[in-house]
Amino acid sequence: MNRRTFLKTAGVGSVSVAAGCTSQPEKTIYALVQAPDDTVTGKALWYASTCRECPAGCGVLARSREGRVVKVEGNPLHPINQGRLCMRGQAALQAVYHPERLDTPQLKENGEWRALSWAAAEGLLQEKTRAAAGAGAGRVRVLTEVIGESLAALFGEALDQWQSPPPLVFEPFAYEALKTANRMAFGVDGLVSYLLDQADLLVCLGADFLETWLSPVEYARQFKAMHALQTNRKGFFAHIAPCQSLTAANADLWLACRPASEGAVALGLIRKALESGRGQSLPAPLRVSLTAASAPYTPEKVAQLADIPADAFDRLAARLLAAKAPLVLGTATAGSGAADVAANLAANLLNRVLDPDLTRIDFAHRHRVETAAPRAEVLDFFKRLSPDTTGVLLLNNVNPVFALPGAGIAEGLGQPGLFVVSTSNFMDETTLLADLVLPVRMPLESWDEYGGKRALISGLQPAMGSLTAAPGLGDVILRAAFGADPPFPDYQGYLQARLTAQGIVDGKRQWVEFLQRGGRFDLPAAPTLAPLPAEVPVAFDPVPAAAASLVLVAAPSIRFFDGRGANRPWLCEIPDPLTKVAWQTPLLAHPDTLANRAIRHADVVQVRSAHGTLEAPVYETVGVRPDVLVMAIGQGHSAYGRYAQGEGVSPLGLLPPEADAVSGGPVFTAGDVLLTPTGRQMPLAHTDGSRIQHGRKIALTTPLQAAAHDDAHPPKAGLTMEDFPLTLPLPEGYDPMRDAYPPHDHADYRWSMVVDLDRCIGCGACAAACYAENNIGVVGAQHILEGREMAWLRIERYLDPQDERQVIFLPMMCQHCDNAPCEAVCPVYAPHHSKEGLNNQIYNRCIGTRFCSQNCPYKVRRFNWFTWQWPRPLNLQLNPDVTARSKGVMEKCSFCIQRIKAAHGTAKNENRSIRDGEIQPACLQTCPTAALSFGNLMDSESRVRRMVMDRRAYQVMGYLNTKPAVIYLHKVVQEI
Amino acid sequence: MSSNRTPIAWTAICVVLIVGFLYFFYTPPATDIGAVQPIPFSHRLHSGVKAIQCEFCHPYVGRATYPGIPPVEKCLYCHTYIIAKHPQILKEHAYFDTRTPTPWRKVFYVPEHVFFNHQRHIKKAVACAECHGAVETMDRLKGQKFMMGFCIGCHRERGATLDCWLACHN
Repeated sequence: MNRRTFLKTAGVGSVSVAAGCTSQPEKTIYALVQAPDDTVTGKALWYASTCRECPAGCGVLARSREGRVVKVEGNPLHPINQGRLCMRGQAALQAVYHPERLDTPQLKENGEWRALSWAAAEGLLQEKTRAAAGAGAGRVRVLTEVIGESLAALFGEALDQWQSPPPLVFEPFAYEALKTANRMAFGVDGLVSYLLDQADLLVCLGADFLETWLSPVEYARQFKAMHALQTNRKGFFAHIAPCQSLTAANADLWLACRPASEGAVALGLIRKALESGRGQSLPAPLRVSLTAASAPYTPEKVAQLADIPADAFDRLAARLLAAKAPLVLGTATAGSGAADVAANLAANLLNRVLDPDLTRIDFAHRHRVETAAPRAEVLDFFKRLSPDTTGVLLLNNVNPVFALPGAGIAEGLGQPGLFVVSTSNFMDETTLLADLVLPVRMPLESWDEYGGKRALISGLQPAMGSLTAAPGLGDVILRAAFGADPPFPDYQGYLQARLTAQGIVDGKRQWVEFLQRGGRFDLPAAPTLAPLPAEVPVAFDPVPAAAASLVLVAAPSIRFFDGRGANRPWLCEIPDPLTKVAWQTPLLAHPDTLANRAIRHADVVQVRSAHGTLEAPVYETVGVRPDVLVMAIGQGHSAYGRYAQGEGVSPLGLLPPEADAVSGGPVFTAGDVLLTPTGRQMPLAHTDGSRIQHGRKIALTTPLQAAAHDDAHPPKAGLTMEDFPLTLPLPEGYDPMRDAYPPHDHADYRWSMVVDLDRCIGCGACAAACYAENNIGVVGAQHILEGREMAWLRIERYLDPQDERQVIFLPMMCQHCDNAPCEAVCPVYAPHHSKEGLNNQIYNRCIGTRFCSQNCPYKVRRFNWFTWQWPRPLNLQLNPDVTARSKGVMEKCSFCIQRIKAAHGTAKNENRSIRDGEIQPACLQTCPTAALSFGNLMDSESRVRRMVMDRRAYQVMGYLNTKPAVIYLHKVVQEI
Repeated sequence: MSSNRTPIAWTAICVVLIVGFLYFFYTPPATDIGAVQPIPFSHRLHSGVKAIQCEFCHPYVGRATYPGIPPVEKCLYCHTYIIAKHPQILKEHAYFDTRTPTPWRKVFYVPEHVFFNHQRHIKKAVACAECHGAVETMDRLKGQKFMMGFCIGCHRERGATLDCWLACHN
């Protein structure tokens, strides 16, 4: 470049920068035509609804700002989740605002999609169903996800009109083995619920109740009610499974049994219990047959069958028999076929032996997912599906093509002459094969009712204006079945009339109350229990194949459930709780397995079973047995939008497509798997810097015996890592010998958070809530590999270097230090200490030197390398109370300053000070186990102030004299 | 040297003409009276002559972050009876009848990273006019460019919070 060109370019460049560098907000302000009664501009409205991201049916409150929902939170009045929500529930919003959500119906003509008007699509549905019904009985079929009773009843009436059988309910996780075992042991053909909080000892044969099993938010809360430290005791939890799920990682004892040998362990425990004289009150025939069936399962035999240490089994049995209120839970959500029935039956019978009255099993509040049809029935349905017997097939929010690969679903749906209608809002694998796509309103836009458990009913109401012109599913069915003369003008009317007829609501006032509270939770429970069967066919064959071959376990994911969550960017971006890998699906394998085959961590391997092949990167972990490989279910979609398509892999294709003969349930394990290296490598997009703490005092544990002492902090006064005292971020924490800067004066409030590591289960719900509340950018796998993820709050996962099976989780967010290293190094004073102790990041002052991030020992500051995008209409989810940051700016946790300010506003209006517990940052609000507390350290009566007096209290790397305002409590560990 | 004089003169004339044109094109006297609104609503008439309270049209000002602008319906409370046949009122009716939101031009605004809370200021008895000026004397509102110094000055004077996050930014 010569001088002339340089000057010209520089001149043009500076002029265009000067001219183009304006930040003018939107200049038009639209006046409403009529203001809705309940809307105040700038104030949020909360609508009670029900989460439909899984069959558990948690109650939610949707926060609506100017007609659009910007956040969902748990409904505190709802008995299932009591105000808490998991990360999938938080991410429900991203389905509503998904950029690839269909906004018109689509008709397939000659293999090409053509957009259709809503009226035309509904007309076509009416015409096709009428024609099908006219051609004979049973020619209109419906395959649906689990739906509420009212919608199911409407489907029933509609299908009656069409002389067709009721809808078939399909859920990929339908707990067939557990249902079969409940029928055999309790005479209950369904899914009972459990009262974990009333137990003092929990033995679990694989049930991943902290992740997906039946009702994870509810069971996580109950689990911590029994397992968190209470003055000087703590419940005990043993997990028996071939791989370490998140649930197993939270257990005090994880026995890595051989796949399909859980039943043998349970039978061994039954034998021990009967030997010790338990079970005397059981009916004689049952006791006799049980004694006979369990007789072969001596401790030695169990140890040999399950390949677990005999002494560990003995100690577990002793502990179980000593427990006052033991409870045994069954097998994992994704079971292993025939052995599952035996294991669940053994678990049920063990419960009957230990607790003849079954006081910790709730027979009245059975889980609604029990209405799902067994897998065998679904497979049979598709096998019989043909144009000769079926004219119209309606698919409601199911994706069998993804869930059942190798079962010939695609061929079945593609038959000419069969008219397939999908009500899905997304072009997933199944919807792509439909003839007509008629997207219906999403749950947050609909009127409906859903009871996750019996004897409670949870309402759904539109919490926002509809984004598309889609009709509600109920309205579509009403119009399609009853034509021009429907019995009710719309589904809302149908719903209201039905609930009134059932005596659930009585009149308009109760209907409004029903909607406001989010449902009716005080319905009379059905008679609890029929007499227990006196004779149980105790036919066990839980002997696992002791093959030397590898077994692949496909595990449901806390992030994606059965795969329906895979298109929500937050769920992809938030890493897996145990591997800390985001966006990708690694294959988990034991170091020995890999060493034998000369495979290293992050090598891409080919996995081959009798049913299929896939390639995936390997993640080396001792969290699986050497004869087991584990892969999460959920990703690996061939359609389903930009965030799902081509991301990760799905292990489902490797599984046997047939259902198990005994329970009719699917088999989520594949034996005789071959593992071959491909010679390629794939860097894993993990967010953890290290698996261990390298001797630093980050996530600490304390033995139960030490924690049970209730004396105060042991006095410490040194300057080393070992003896540095807990230094509160208050003027009293100032020490002229240690501090270069004078103490900060705080006016009235000094905000602080206490994290009880003994309660944290590592589920990541807090991280999802933080993404939703604070407009945090989603960066994708490539940027995560480059260390550019933006999470303000992350769950750190550390393994104990002595025993890597010991896992500890630590939520890490900005520590709002009183002596903040970031503040001292910023050349422009962008991090700034507020008078209430918060460390404020002034985005507009920040020039992006990143010195602060370098100097932060907690690595919680996030730099915007790019201006992250929210493809329309995902931007509608952005919280209007939080500035969206742009390129070149550092950002970090603010303790949800917008909520603190809102509380200030309310307190000022009421002329009082902020009450303890009034401020709930988003992470704390959603935490299923109440691991977080937030409050004012200046108030000597506040909850956090009392908690920091706990002898378990410590500060992460407090010896750096940063005086963090986030105080952690040691995790309490116990050995058997 | 002398051979350059003519082109320099021409260039100078062109520059003067262009600058002059731009000056007069962008800053004619009429642009200084505020943005043209879809309906020529006069604050002088409503607030000044008719002495309608600010809160009647901006009802949320004392209880929310934003004061709110009146829905079309509210204008028609009166204008169904008062000058009902005026062409501009008919335009208002057209907005109502076609359910079209009125696209008013914003005249008072702060940048996106500032969260100005009206409620807090009203509760502290800050008069509307202190920031918005004497709207009762203006037909069209001119607006004012609020810079940070404007806020800080007042906050200093009244001893209000100067904390970045607790005050204006999130």
